[in-house]
Amino acid sequence: MKIRLALSLATASLWYRRKVLALVCLTLTLSVTLLLGVQYLRTEVKQSFTSTISDTDLIIGARSGQLNLLLYTVFHMGDATNNIRWSTFQALEKDARIDWLIPISLGDSYKGFRVVATDKAFKEHFRYGQGQPLELAGGQWSEGIFDVVLGAGVARTLSHQLNDEVILSHGGGRTSFSNHKDTPFKVTGILEATGTPVDQAVYISLQGMEAIHVGWESGVAIPGRTLTPERAQGRDLTPSAITAVFAGLDRKILTFRVQRDINQYAEEPLSAILPGVALSELWRLMGQFERALLGITGFVVVTSLIGLIAVLLTLQAQRSHEIAVLRATGASPGLIASLYVIECLALAVVACLSALVLSSLAISILGPWLLTNYGIQIQLRSLNLEEWALLASVPLAALLVAFVPALSAWQTSRSQGFGSPDKL
Amino acid sequence: MNSQLLSSADGSIDKPEAIETSNLTFCWDRLQPTLRFPDFSLPRGEHLFLYGPSGTGKSTLLSLLAGMLSPASGVVKLLGTEFHRSDAGKRDRFRADHIGVIFQQFNLVPYLTAEANVTLPCKLSSRRKSATGESPTLAAQRLLSALAIPESHWQRKVTQLSIGQQQRIAAARALIGAPEIILADEPTSALDSDNRDRFINLLLALAGERNTSVVFVSHDRSLARHFHHQIELGQVSA
Repeated sequence: MKIRLALSLATASLWYRRKVLALVCLTLTLSVTLLLGVQYLRTEVKQSFTSTISDTDLIIGARSGQLNLLLYTVFHMGDATNNIRWSTFQALEKDARIDWLIPISLGDSYKGFRVVATDKAFKEHFRYGQGQPLELAGGQWSEGIFDVVLGAGVARTLSHQLNDEVILSHGGGRTSFSNHKDTPFKVTGILEATGTPVDQAVYISLQGMEAIHVGWESGVAIPGRTLTPERAQGRDLTPSAITAVFAGLDRKILTFRVQRDINQYAEEPLSAILPGVALSELWRLMGQFERALLGITGFVVVTSLIGLIAVLLTLQAQRSHEIAVLRATGASPGLIASLYVIECLALAVVACLSALVLSSLAISILGPWLLTNYGIQIQLRSLNLEEWALLASVPLAALLVAFVPALSAWQTSRSQGFGSPDKL
Repeated sequence: MNSQLLSSADGSIDKPEAIETSNLTFCWDRLQPTLRFPDFSLPRGEHLFLYGPSGTGKSTLLSLLAGMLSPASGVVKLLGTEFHRSDAGKRDRFRADHIGVIFQQFNLVPYLTAEANVTLPCKLSSRRKSATGESPTLAAQRLLSALAIPESHWQRKVTQLSIGQQQRIAAARALIGAPEIILADEPTSALDSDNRDRFINLLLALAGERNTSVVFVSHDRSLARHFHHQIELGQVSA
């Protein structure tokens, strides 16, 4: 086989038909970009999802299923089945195997965003991603009872500045009719975007949570019994119950033993879960969707390839004279067929390379914008093996479908007579 | 029968004829009548004129001689080889090495330059390449000059050239590397009479220099005067 001749002929032919082929190549490029993008996002989103919380060994709450506990503590979705007593928290604090504890108390909201009441341990021990701590974009962590720190998403959506005054609402929901209007909070800090549910919550102290609920024991404010900010200062605001606890252990090897001990805690029914395990279980549930998305994108690429073949087959009719000349000059049917294979493969490779450039451009331009506006963290990184394999599958598929026009060209040129094929 | 046996000019026996055929028939499919072709033999370096009205199988005969079609029966001997017995691949290689072709029109690969079209046979056949003696490009340029293609046109896209120029470039492609046989299928039918005579004279002169035999097909009988031999086709029997 005259490979060099075939290559030079195919190159010249592609260039000659560049206007038509550029459009097909563009279609293929866009679909490969989509395929690559979806696969890239899958990996990134999974990565970001499974590292929503890190370094926390156990999440402890009232007895419930592990997904439920994970959803309401980490993702602020759904509600706690029950509270845990403060005495239980104190008992956990005494456990020598536990290094640190972050108590959290949920239940209120601010314009649809969850209010999370916690203490200093949250700032010190809460980690996300690859063990990144939370950083403030401005201001400082709450010092007083009525100080609030906003997640990046909350501050952006509601355009809050430092020192703004906010009124929290009782219970969840975007529009609540029972507001804690006697006890306004002051924004003292705004967090950096993390790309996790942390961005979508506001953080107050446990004392603040306790203070705004004095006089609300029946579920609504009883006039005269609620606290004013001044009256709150002198009181003991230790909570009687909290919603959940994040725990870090001294020795990770003891995780399962501590988990079992907590699950069998005699004083009240508790559940302890391993966040990593629960997160991957949750991902398995949602994974169906992203696999379906990848499947759909795969079909888009297949459709583009079929379009490519359709165009090549249409061009074949125009090429009969040229093929007749090549055949008469002594080119074998194999050489003619190889032209189609080379052209198809070259188009696919060009499309893949353009898709690589296009998607890396898109990610580097859109990445920072996505993080600040949607809290989605996507960084440019080199492709992993799976992504390379996916990308390589496009030219391979092109090679496979190229046999359609190639075989048809081979067959026609085998029975090619002198001159044009339609001529007797 | 209008068939005639052409005798060799020098009468030598050991030097094989360029083309010899006997009892050649071809059938496109069962519904169409079988085409029967007259027997002839053409010595090296001599030129044959084939004429006849359309539908008499002129192009079919050229396809058989070029090995692009296989005869239903009969013998085609080219340069002493029993061409019809070779397999398709061998015939393709033989054609690349020993045969130049010129069509009626659409003779050129549209995306190659004039020069690249002329050197195409040298890329398909190392025999034709080495026969140029020099580089194929130099040989192509020499032929293009001889065929009065201006130098400014050599690197041009062939689709920008006139029909007359395109046919002369096709002639240069057929002549390069001095193949023993040139098959030309009505190459002058799109040319005016001045161009036609000039084309045939140039083609035959350059073929003569290379001891190349030309088989020239046309329905225009007036061209016969340029050739050593002539055969009329037109006997189609069922």
